[in-house]
Amino acid sequence: MKAASHRIRFLAGVVLGTAVGLSLSWALLRATRRDLVSERKRREAIISVQALADLVQRVGFPSTRVGQVVPAWQAQKPPGTFARIVAFAGAQLVASTDPADRGARETPRRLSREEKPLYDQGQRIRAAVETNREEASARKPEIEIDGLAAGALALAAPLQSGGAVSGLVAAQFPGTGHAHGGNAGLAALLLAGAIAVFAVFAWAAGERRLLLAAGATVCLAGALLIHANAAVRTVREELRAADEAVAAYATAQGGQAGEVLASLQVPVDPPLAPASWDTDEFRRPRRLIGEDGHPDEVGLAGRVARASFEATRALFGVAAVSLLLLLVAGFGGFSRAGRELVEHRQAYLYITPAMIGLLVLVFFPFFYGITLSFTDSNLYNTNRSIGETWIGLRNYGDVLGDFGFIQRAQGGGFVINYLNFYWTLLFTILWTVSNVSFGVVVGLALALILNTRDLALRPVYRVLLILPWAVPNYITSLIWKGMFHQQFGVVNQFLGIFGISPIAWFGKVGTSFFTAFATNGWLSFPFMMVVSLGALQSIPAELYEAARVDGATRWQQFKAITLPSLRPALVPAIIISVVWTFNMFNVVYLVTAGEPGGSTEILITQAYKFAFERYRYGYAAAYSTVIFLILLVYGVFQNRVSKATEAA
Amino acid sequence: MAKRSLTGEPPHGPLHAILIVMTLYTIYPILWVICIALSGRQNLAIAELPPDPGVLDRLRAVMPWPQHFSAANFASVLRDQPFARWMLNSAIVSAATTLLGVSLACSAAYAFSRFKFPGRQPGMLLLLVSQMFPGTLTLIPLYIIIVQWLGLGSSMFGLVLVYGTTSIPFSVWMLKGYFDTIPKELEEAAMMEGASAGKIFWRIVMPLATPAIAITALFSFMTAWNEFIIAATLMDKEFKYTAPVGLRFFVGGFQQQWGYFAAGSILVSVPVVLLFLYLQKYLVSGLTAGGVKG
Repeated sequence: MKAASHRIRFLAGVVLGTAVGLSLSWALLRATRRDLVSERKRREAIISVQALADLVQRVGFPSTRVGQVVPAWQAQKPPGTFARIVAFAGAQLVASTDPADRGARETPRRLSREEKPLYDQGQRIRAAVETNREEASARKPEIEIDGLAAGALALAAPLQSGGAVSGLVAAQFPGTGHAHGGNAGLAALLLAGAIAVFAVFAWAAGERRLLLAAGATVCLAGALLIHANAAVRTVREELRAADEAVAAYATAQGGQAGEVLASLQVPVDPPLAPASWDTDEFRRPRRLIGEDGHPDEVGLAGRVARASFEATRALFGVAAVSLLLLLVAGFGGFSRAGRELVEHRQAYLYITPAMIGLLVLVFFPFFYGITLSFTDSNLYNTNRSIGETWIGLRNYGDVLGDFGFIQRAQGGGFVINYLNFYWTLLFTILWTVSNVSFGVVVGLALALILNTRDLALRPVYRVLLILPWAVPNYITSLIWKGMFHQQFGVVNQFLGIFGISPIAWFGKVGTSFFTAFATNGWLSFPFMMVVSLGALQSIPAELYEAARVDGATRWQQFKAITLPSLRPALVPAIIISVVWTFNMFNVVYLVTAGEPGGSTEILITQAYKFAFERYRYGYAAAYSTVIFLILLVYGVFQNRVSKATEAA
Repeated sequence: MAKRSLTGEPPHGPLHAILIVMTLYTIYPILWVICIALSGRQNLAIAELPPDPGVLDRLRAVMPWPQHFSAANFASVLRDQPFARWMLNSAIVSAATTLLGVSLACSAAYAFSRFKFPGRQPGMLLLLVSQMFPGTLTLIPLYIIIVQWLGLGSSMFGLVLVYGTTSIPFSVWMLKGYFDTIPKELEEAAMMEGASAGKIFWRIVMPLATPAIAITALFSFMTAWNEFIIAATLMDKEFKYTAPVGLRFFVGGFQQQWGYFAAGSILVSVPVVLLFLYLQKYLVSGLTAGGVKG
């Protein structure tokens, strides 16, 4: 098969890269403009609802005059707008302009049974306002906004009298219907231009690959830059337009509210402040409307700067993707990959189902977790996007950069900060080394004993000694936890026989470590024993006989014959059991539970506690990533070592 | 005696002593849990100590022999507690996990063993590395995917998906090692006879690999049967608990129902312990074979 010419490939690359890049930019621009329109609509809706809440609170709530305020408020709004006022006292629907509330359902009246969701929404908002006030935070939304069909919005805001939330304004606004598109014409024009320019260039440049690559890159970059430039200008103009429109809307609402109050002869004191109605869903003022009723220039400049920054960031992403496509296509990557895919289609068919599962539920969660490790994600901001909580490498700095695990106590002595990473790392290493050593020594010793010929009851011992491996390790852990109970545990009762008073096993670092060590030792030595026994049985007896004929002592036989024969089986077993012990979550989590004070946590249980007991998801993710890196380094290192031992 | 010193064998007496001590260490906790289960009470202690206990009383309290025999704990854990339901949940989840995991792993392992294709080496390496992913790193994303995106919270299907896919890497490594030992000539001969690739896989390779598949299936089954953290995270309805989550429920937090726990532990452990003892010879060879190659 004859390879296609470089010119054709790079032309295809330009077409593909520019088309993908421009479509992505176009889609991004369209999404941004949509967001702008919907943001504007939401701001106007919030201003409108806040204006109504302000009016209702001024005329006195609950009072009969509320019934006059709502229709007056609705008077100049587009058809489809209506509002309902709920008072919690007596579950009253005080006023409503909802077309459904006419005739028999005329207000004021009690809320009916099927209107319970409305009442519940009010209680939810009341709880949110109180929570936020107690925590001095903005965690729970105080204004609930729901998107309805056809772009309509349903809002609910609290009504307050004397500081307490005593009612609810629920309003609906119709959808405006039309949303802006992107500038598809410009994008198409740019695509055609880039292709045309590159075609001319390629004709002149001939079959020189690097020159073609450079030319293609320039064409692609030019098209993307021109489009991005236009897009940023559009967004900036629309931002300003939106802010001006919202400011004008707020001013108009203020004027209307003034008229309503005048007609009801309610004194306007303190004066109406339409700018203060422009809040976010936590009722925090946005400060985007100045006192003069025009957009606040500082706020607007900030918004424009942020939008430009985000556009630039997006442009870099888009450019990287499309450049990659261009170069891969240009250097023949796709045609090669395609050929190979066809050639090995059978192999790929066999692995595809497994790979899809792995991608979705193993590798994607892994990379998602790594991404989380760069954010400040915690219980209180799970609904924010990753971009909003991005904090770069700060979590890693917090985990690895804090060396202060020994602190000076107030009394002058030293205390260890058990939450510190390095203490836990030290403890984990101690835990792993001691447990694996115990397993190897005991397992090997028992294997040697069981390998004695003519030993009575060998099969019985073997089965009984293997049992701990078969018992699920979470059950083992809970059993030992019960046996180490201070008051009723059998271990303390046993010590009592010798007159030793009960020990609080989980009260000191040393004894607490011992409980986990005893548990893990119990369940881990059978593995080493069985592995060693298998290897021992495969050593031919003639070797020993020959050694004895040569007059070797038992120790010499052990060193010269037994150990070398055990190595191929024992080395991998030790490698595996180091990883198992390092991550032995169940034993530590269930037996010591980190007592006392988190001192006996190993890395994996500590990471779990940061995530699920302290709810610091981002920090826990960074912690886990560090664990992964430690294991990876260990794995690579072990691979070298075991290859070296195999070669030796 | 003379014969022993001639062959260099040590005397058997001390060896028996060591073995007996170690056997006591291994079976005491098991006897303890059986004793608590059969005591008919929820107490942690085997026997009540009198106010001023003597040595004999204390000895009594550590002898794993209940004061009264009663099957009440077994009866009420199955009747009054939803434990039978939890065992059923575990059985369904473990069986489905085994089916899903092993079937996906079989075809992938066959490809990795038989075909040379771009991405084969990196693929195997990637599977190995994925075994090092800390569970704490993937647990939150898994929760988001399964519960929030797929809407499979408290669903056995969601748990099966997670267990099935996470068991794949280990199974692939085990099975690939075994497939490598099956001579290629058999397949080539079948190919000469005109058998299709699918037929070769189903009729020749799979039957030959039955022992390895059985071991891999046992591993998948035991992993799912014994797993407890992911199940505790995803299953928040008591009715949908698996047996491990349920057992922890008996003695975790403020509950101290040690009798139920002990009876439940025995019910959960007996099947896997028997399976394990039956198949342990193969387990070791499988593990170390994978290890040597890794």
